[in-house]
Amino acid sequence: MSALDCSTARRDLLDAVRGRLAPDEQRRLEEHLAGCAECSALDQRERALDAALGRLPEHRAPAGLEGRLLASLSTSALSPVPASGALAAPTATERAQPPRRRTRAWAAAAATLAVSVAALVVALRAGSSSDMLVAEAVNDHLRVLYAQQPIEIESGGIHQVKPWFAGRLDFAPRLAFEGDADFSLAGGSVGYFIDRKAAVFVFKHRLHVITLFEFRADGLPWGDAGELKLGKLEARHSQLRGFQVISFRDGDLGYALVSDVDASALEQLAGRVASGL
Amino acid sequence: MPPQRALPQAASSGPRLSQTRPSWYPRPVARAPADATFAGRVLEHVHALHGFAFRLSRNAAEAEDLVQDAFTRALAAADQFRPGSNLRSWLFRILRNLYIDDRRRARRAPLSADGEAPEAPADAAAELLRGDIELDCLRRLIAEQIESALFALSDEARTVILLDLEGFSEPEVAEVMGCAPGTVKSRLARARAALRVQLAEYAR
Repeated sequence: MSALDCSTARRDLLDAVRGRLAPDEQRRLEEHLAGCAECSALDQRERALDAALGRLPEHRAPAGLEGRLLASLSTSALSPVPASGALAAPTATERAQPPRRRTRAWAAAAATLAVSVAALVVALRAGSSSDMLVAEAVNDHLRVLYAQQPIEIESGGIHQVKPWFAGRLDFAPRLAFEGDADFSLAGGSVGYFIDRKAAVFVFKHRLHVITLFEFRADGLPWGDAGELKLGKLEARHSQLRGFQVISFRDGDLGYALVSDVDASALEQLAGRVASGL
Repeated sequence: MPPQRALPQAASSGPRLSQTRPSWYPRPVARAPADATFAGRVLEHVHALHGFAFRLSRNAAEAEDLVQDAFTRALAAADQFRPGSNLRSWLFRILRNLYIDDRRRARRAPLSADGEAPEAPADAAAELLRGDIELDCLRRLIAEQIESALFALSDEARTVILLDLEGFSEPEVAEVMGCAPGTVKSRLARARAALRVQLAEYAR
């Protein structure tokens, strides 16, 4: 077997680090490096450069961006949709548009999604009154997902979010759970729950959004005590069109959690919320 | 496995659709997956796309715009995405093209040719000595210095380094950058050499 020359070895250095060499190529390179100080030094430099690049700061998308992306989907459906052809690839006309004003061309694509969301909302509106609470919770969750401004205050922690509600609500939110590694508090906003104002907290669980509504409980059809125990509280766990809803009341305040996460994850969060009340 | 019955057709020369279907069988038409599922799959890459956008544009506001535009464009062109192919490199390509379009439109810093950095000294001894110093420097650099050095590179050099760092294979890098796969290795080597020169500046 012929020995590797330096130029081939140097060409293969990075491929070796990336694990792209065949076993015999890898072996030949290692043999060469063992006997060639120059190539070995270059190998170390490649690895040191990789290590340095590995220290680059992360630039994760800001908390609100995902919400804005989703919001942009539904916004387009509310605006007039071009008559035809918008599903086509980027066109010359589109390219001629100024940057960051490309919203029109994809409106049709988004319309499919937004129309189904709209249909879902309408269907929920027509639901029976006993499940009004659940339907309302899902509706409002969808509004959070697709609202123009889903989050009015981005979270710097519960201690920043809670005071923000002062003067914006006719009750003081009692939520104390400040989020953790599993459920991070993304922010909050003021919303409506049926006929009353609500504190809306938005949690993130991996890629899922969980909305927690906190509102005055009086005068709402709470129905039977729920089958789900959250410490001393009893909660109802419902499912509606693929969404999980957990609702419970604690004294004069009511709570509803809505998400598309699996049931057990939502129950975990409900437990953490309830135990902090 | 039982041998497959030969179909009454010539051996197909084009891409094989299915072994059991004759050539006249209608090809499956890729349905536009412009739905919530597709949007969700795109959103799984939002952090990676944002990181790439930020390091391309070196600007937080522009990065967000790029991600938003890429999201928009991806959903609009969802019917062009071949199911089963690499969504991540497809999205990166869309974002990079948007960035280049924006650059051209704004007639900002023109896209320079890659590898504008001076060549490393040819003398082997000097190279080795320099290598030792450099190795030491490289290990002491902090994140901000590394990023500044990266930002000082040409768009092209920065792009190929970032894509390699993202774990893309050479063919994937070629797809994102729209270049021949055979040129990726040399582009990357030149870009990394240029980055080392920049880093040496910062480490001084």
